[in-house]
Amino acid sequence: MRLLTHNMLSSNIKGVTSGFPLRLEVEKVVEKQVDFNADFLNNMFVKIEWKALVDASRAMGYADLPDQTEPSMLDSDEFLKKFHHALLELHLEEGALICPETGRRFPVNKGIPNMLLHEDEV
Amino acid sequence: MNLALYGTCFESPFLVQLQRRCDRDRGVRKARSISRSRATHVVASATRMASEEGVVQLQKGIAELYDESSGIWEDIWGDHMHHGFYDPNNLSVSLSDHRSAQIRMIEEALRLAAVSDDRLLKNTWVVESSDDMCHKENPMKRPKRIVDVGCGIGGSSRYLARKYGAECLGITLSPVQAQRAQALAAAQGLSDKVSFQVADALKQPFPDGQFDLVWSMESGEHMPDKTRFVSELARVAAPGATIIIVTWCHRDLSSEEESLKAEEKKLLDKICDAYYLPAWCSTADYVKLLQSLSLQDIKAADWSQYVAPFWPAVIRTALTWKGLTSLLRSGWKTIKGALAMPLMIEGYKKDLIKFAIITCRKPA
Repeated sequence: MRLLTHNMLSSNIKGVTSGFPLRLEVEKVVEKQVDFNADFLNNMFVKIEWKALVDASRAMGYADLPDQTEPSMLDSDEFLKKFHHALLELHLEEGALICPETGRRFPVNKGIPNMLLHEDEV
Repeated sequence: MNLALYGTCFESPFLVQLQRRCDRDRGVRKARSISRSRATHVVASATRMASEEGVVQLQKGIAELYDESSGIWEDIWGDHMHHGFYDPNNLSVSLSDHRSAQIRMIEEALRLAAVSDDRLLKNTWVVESSDDMCHKENPMKRPKRIVDVGCGIGGSSRYLARKYGAECLGITLSPVQAQRAQALAAAQGLSDKVSFQVADALKQPFPDGQFDLVWSMESGEHMPDKTRFVSELARVAAPGATIIIVTWCHRDLSSEEESLKAEEKKLLDKICDAYYLPAWCSTADYVKLLQSLSLQDIKAADWSQYVAPFWPAVIRTALTWKGLTSLLRSGWKTIKGALAMPLMIEGYKKDLIKFAIITCRKPA
């Protein structure tokens, strides 16, 4: 699971009002090389919840993203490369996503999150 | 099912396993019939509010069916697990034609959602939305974020991501499908664009309003609670987003009818058993649900005539040497599904089963 996906997932447990972002429990991180595409990054930038991305990337062991951003940073190649790396190249291969409200674990196996709820959580 | 048909006088391990599976399947059927007898009318006679227990059993059955059968399907038919869209005048279709037909199905669905009224195919009807917007040209904006609800092994996800250069997330109940979908995406250089999750379409793991295109290609028939299914599609759709549902429905009921005829229900029940389907609803039921959620630009079509060559072709491939040997190696659920294929053809011939598409827009 890459962090672009993580930025779009939330806990869907009954009664939870702030299920985003999910916290990360990291067991195995894999880095996979992805072709750099500045246009894609520029498009994605406006849709990304930045704090969620920073926190998640730190949990994965990558601390190079700035805490705050401003649009002018998109002109910097260096920034774009860090954004690209965090968003697309860091994969949570094994671990879990944790509901911020209930602490419920959603396991991640071979890079695939399992977001299915039990009967009593629906 | 009656094991006496197999006429053995000793207990072979295979038959014992078969019996155990039947018992388990009977448990699912019981759960389904419990949920049916406690049905609440939400939309006409068709939507069934399934008991949670029944739903969990059903979803387990669905996951297991696809865990078991996706590989054999992909081996013979490729990565699109849906009907092809065919020219009704062309009766001889080869296997490679089916692949193009499956791609055409995706393109025709997108076209219906985007196109203005005067270019619609016959058998399409435009529903009056409450805002009466349906007669204006309202082209679909190029989507940037797509959700593929019931994504199978990701055929649609990869196709749409490639077509629009968009981000696409797919959800499926089957862990085997999700893994395969991801592997195919990686092999095709699409890992940056598409990702797959094991998740429930009735409780999508996304915040509200995130997707420009909400895509459900032949998964709606598996949803035990059509109201929740459609509500979730609407919830995750962004303002101005397009929702496209391609699904199996039963014929619309006439104004005098309260339900399908007994023999029609009997046929559908047999099909439900084999494919892990909950109770069916009609295209009109979907339209009512979309209207109740104040969705706009609702269009619905009966595409049964454009998919006619599909089931006969699937049967033919099942009967090849490769098909038969694959089936025998696959598992009971897959075999049962294969045996039920003629029932689908019967359903279409009797005008009971409809291949339906319903599209709409979320208000901006």
